[in-house]
Amino acid sequence: MKTKLVLNFNPEASNLPITHNLIAEYGLLVNILRAEIDEIGGKMVIEVSGDDDSTNKGVEYLKKAGVGVRPFKEGVRRNDEICTHCGVCVSICPTSALILDHETRKVTFVEEKCVACGVCIDACPPRAMEILI
Amino acid sequence: MTAMEFKEFVATNGVRKAAKEVDIVTTGTFGAMCSSGAYFNLGHADPPIKIHRAWMDGIPAYAGLAAVDLYLGATELDESNNILHGGAHVIEDLVKGRAVRLKATAYGTDCYPMKEMDTYVSLKTMNQAVMMNVRNAYQNYAAAANSSGKTLYTYMGKLLPELGNATYSSAGEISPLLNDPYYRTIGVGSRIFLGGGEGFVVWEGTQFNPGVARTPRGVPKRPAGTLAVMGDLNGMSQDFLKGLTFTRYGTSLGVGVGIPIPILDEDLASACAVTNDKIFTAIFDYAEQKRSRSVLKEVSYADLSSGRVTIKGKDVPTSPLSSIYKARQITELLKKRILDGSFVVTEPVQRLPLKKSINTLDVRSEKEAMK
Ligand code: SF4
Ligand code: SF4
Repeated sequence: MKTKLVLNFNPEASNLPITHNLIAEYGLLVNILRAEIDEIGGKMVIEVSGDDDSTNKGVEYLKKAGVGVRPFKEGVRRNDEICTHCGVCVSICPTSALILDHETRKVTFVEEKCVACGVCIDACPPRAMEILI
Repeated sequence: MTAMEFKEFVATNGVRKAAKEVDIVTTGTFGAMCSSGAYFNLGHADPPIKIHRAWMDGIPAYAGLAAVDLYLGATELDESNNILHGGAHVIEDLVKGRAVRLKATAYGTDCYPMKEMDTYVSLKTMNQAVMMNVRNAYQNYAAAANSSGKTLYTYMGKLLPELGNATYSSAGEISPLLNDPYYRTIGVGSRIFLGGGEGFVVWEGTQFNPGVARTPRGVPKRPAGTLAVMGDLNGMSQDFLKGLTFTRYGTSLGVGVGIPIPILDEDLASACAVTNDKIFTAIFDYAEQKRSRSVLKEVSYADLSSGRVTIKGKDVPTSPLSSIYKARQITELLKKRILDGSFVVTEPVQRLPLKKSINTLDVRSEKEAMK
């Protein structure tokens, strides 16, 4: 099973080899989708693959290490009240997470494909895309 | 019938039958329309003020009209150039029913002694609040791509480097002026759907340029006609009026315009039957920072709306800038309003010009300017 997680670090936790530990100790495959780390801490979006049990244990480990863990669902959002379905974002998104339906001419946000790169945020004219990580 | 329905009707029944049986076709577009704005009459203060400078939610409004008349442009920004909130957003807020902070200064006269005011206004407190857009509903528009090595932020959206994407702006086959290419039914005095409410075409739009190259059926291949429109902000809706931000460019107003086209004869029926594969534009290279950019490729709207075009051997994804989804909603809504009698179709009282060319702005002497 693949799970996308948003991690928030304080400066201490930034120094822990957490991805290494997730891989070595819990047998999870870790794909780093986005990382921003500086002296005041950092944020990271990762995709972990492994069975449920290991994933849960991995998450427990992260929490104990002082890392904030949130499901990715809360990471990137589209505000449907604001979106005009203009389609500006569709040719910008590197993972085709924003798709224009050629029949209805509506734009769908496919969360599973989103890697939280943030490219669409400042491209959306009415500012319907929000990144919260 | 909506423009979409009409095209299908013609495809199965032919132009002759369509001309005979269909009275009116509704067209629509929803997109970023610069050259938009609104004027307001605020009512008189006590003691009276002859406003010299004014700000609405921090955005400067033009006060050089009279004492309490203001014009607020959609692309106007505050002193910090905050592009997330410009004149367009203030207009949207007013339409949403919100109150807007008004600050005004004046030099004071014997008849208008007040020199400063800080208050709130809304559509409910004003005498007039009228959208007045000098250039909307472009008949066709250019498409854009970027051959340079860096991302460009333009009014055509974010253009990724190395031809990473292409953007286009017209609603294509359902866009008003593309269905009436020689302005036979759309002219001064035409009643239109504007921003969810009603308005009128009041003049040719600025940069009106009907003389561009056209297809054998008369459809312009480049930006051509435009419309100046106005209508009461009261009655407009946030669904069809939106403050927009183009990063590192500025603000603009997303405006929904819908125009009914009476099918006068077979010529007009065949004009309204036009489909995206018969409407062409060019993709220009926005990497060139000059007035006339080079054409990367001539394309049809069918190509553009397929989602991909090939430029210089590269497969390039495309993005529309205007919402076809909303444009279609407008054609549906307008059709409904015409059918239930709440929208009355008018004949224009004056045709738009067919001969006219556009001038450019160059550095010139006083004498040269008068030649
Ligand atoms: S650019 Fe923004 S408004 Fe346009 S379709 Fe994408 S999310 Fe919606
Ligand atoms: S954040 Fe990146 S991946 Fe997600 S929708 Fe926006 S552009 Fe696509």
